[in-house]
Amino acid sequence: MTYAYILLSSERDEMKKNLIISAVIALVAFGYPQSGTAADNDDTALETYNRAMFNFNSVADYYVIKPVAKGYRAITTEFIRERVHNFFSNLKEPASIINHTLQGNLADTGNSTGRFLVNSTLGLLGTFDVASGWGLKNNKTDFDETLAKWCVPDGPFIVLPLLGPSTPRATTGMVADGFANPTYWADYYATFNKDWQKYSFYYGLTALGFVSVREEKIEFLDNLTENSVDPYSTIKSAYIQNRLKLNVCADKNNPSNEASYDFDFDDEE
Amino acid sequence: MKKILTFIFLSLFATTMQAHATINAQKAETFIKNVTQQGIEELINSNVSEAEKKARFTKLFNQDLDLDFIGKFVLGRYWRTATPQQRTDFIDVYRKLNIQTWSERFNEFKGKHFEFLGTETSKSPDQLFVNTQVPMEEGAPASVKWRVKETNGSLRIVDIIIENVSLAQTARSEYTSYIQKSPQGINGLINDLRKKLK
Repeated sequence: MTYAYILLSSERDEMKKNLIISAVIALVAFGYPQSGTAADNDDTALETYNRAMFNFNSVADYYVIKPVAKGYRAITTEFIRERVHNFFSNLKEPASIINHTLQGNLADTGNSTGRFLVNSTLGLLGTFDVASGWGLKNNKTDFDETLAKWCVPDGPFIVLPLLGPSTPRATTGMVADGFANPTYWADYYATFNKDWQKYSFYYGLTALGFVSVREEKIEFLDNLTENSVDPYSTIKSAYIQNRLKLNVCADKNNPSNEASYDFDFDDEE
Repeated sequence: MKKILTFIFLSLFATTMQAHATINAQKAETFIKNVTQQGIEELINSNVSEAEKKARFTKLFNQDLDLDFIGKFVLGRYWRTATPQQRTDFIDVYRKLNIQTWSERFNEFKGKHFEFLGTETSKSPDQLFVNTQVPMEEGAPASVKWRVKETNGSLRIVDIIIENVSLAQTARSEYTSYIQKSPQGINGLINDLRKKLK
């Protein structure tokens, strides 16, 4: 999700196109029958596409992305990786400021604003989380969560090219939050009228962010693929269940807004 | 006479009803406290050999997790059509694979501690959730809920829900989807799970 966020937000020159695409996805998906809490509910056409895309991503990961992530781990120390991680984490603070406001949590807006100001300056461009020590705890949110609180349904599970598991609402949120990324605008103005180096800074950063996130997930994803007989189903089920915690509004599939994990759990016989 | 009989019947009914619902919240929480304490303090944070750790983990796992019960659930509707041999074989390999997976993954909790947040009722009889959270280095704490079931007076864990993801539900999705596609059905699943064992 995090690296999905970083990558999709890179399509800076195609701002309009992105907005149109996400609007289309949103329209298709929000009018789509919800799969509800049944994490093993299938829709054939979408499922066929998802599995094909999942396999494609797995191959790309195996031959390119994971080896690069391992290379990154080999040439950096944990200290450096933590600085890189914090740097990208800080870039998401402006999106949090906007979304806390949209959700009506003004105290959190203040908290995120304080964090961004302190960490961008005293925290050396966000590489050190000085603000946490001052009592301004990390408490991020995003447009996806805003939409959830506005009772916008999630839509079906979809696998995005290279970015992996998502839903129409998650994708919409990710694209929207991309416009709140400070490096997007920094690069926009810095390379204005300089065709030959346009986007180079932003794309470079995007790639680094992507690698950084993949590096953090090496052990987890290895363990998951080694022990699962159907990694696609495992990831899909876990992803959908995890997202249900965002859905604070009751809907037709879950009128009383019950906890998704309290399913009937009795002897099958 | 009739009144007395009705009364006896009703009070019997009332006590069985109550017995159904009397999984004791306090007892369940203490049980999970012991499990996390043994799992973390006496296992991950201890300085014993990897082999000894694995042995202790296996013991803890078999003792406190009701894998026979979970195994039935994760096979879903296929449990009913499975032969007794298939059932035994599946539970056996499922148990081994879980011990393998979790003895590796449990290290993620190294240096971490659980905070207890009370309990939550379940709609299933004799079960409840013990709510805990694990503070993380960054961001909000991770939520971990333990689904506890009381069978004949003893407590066992039947599900662990991490950040709203139920392990039992996830395994069920994986296995039922596999069986649906596998030409060898349950036997195919059992064989493939066996190949995953190291």
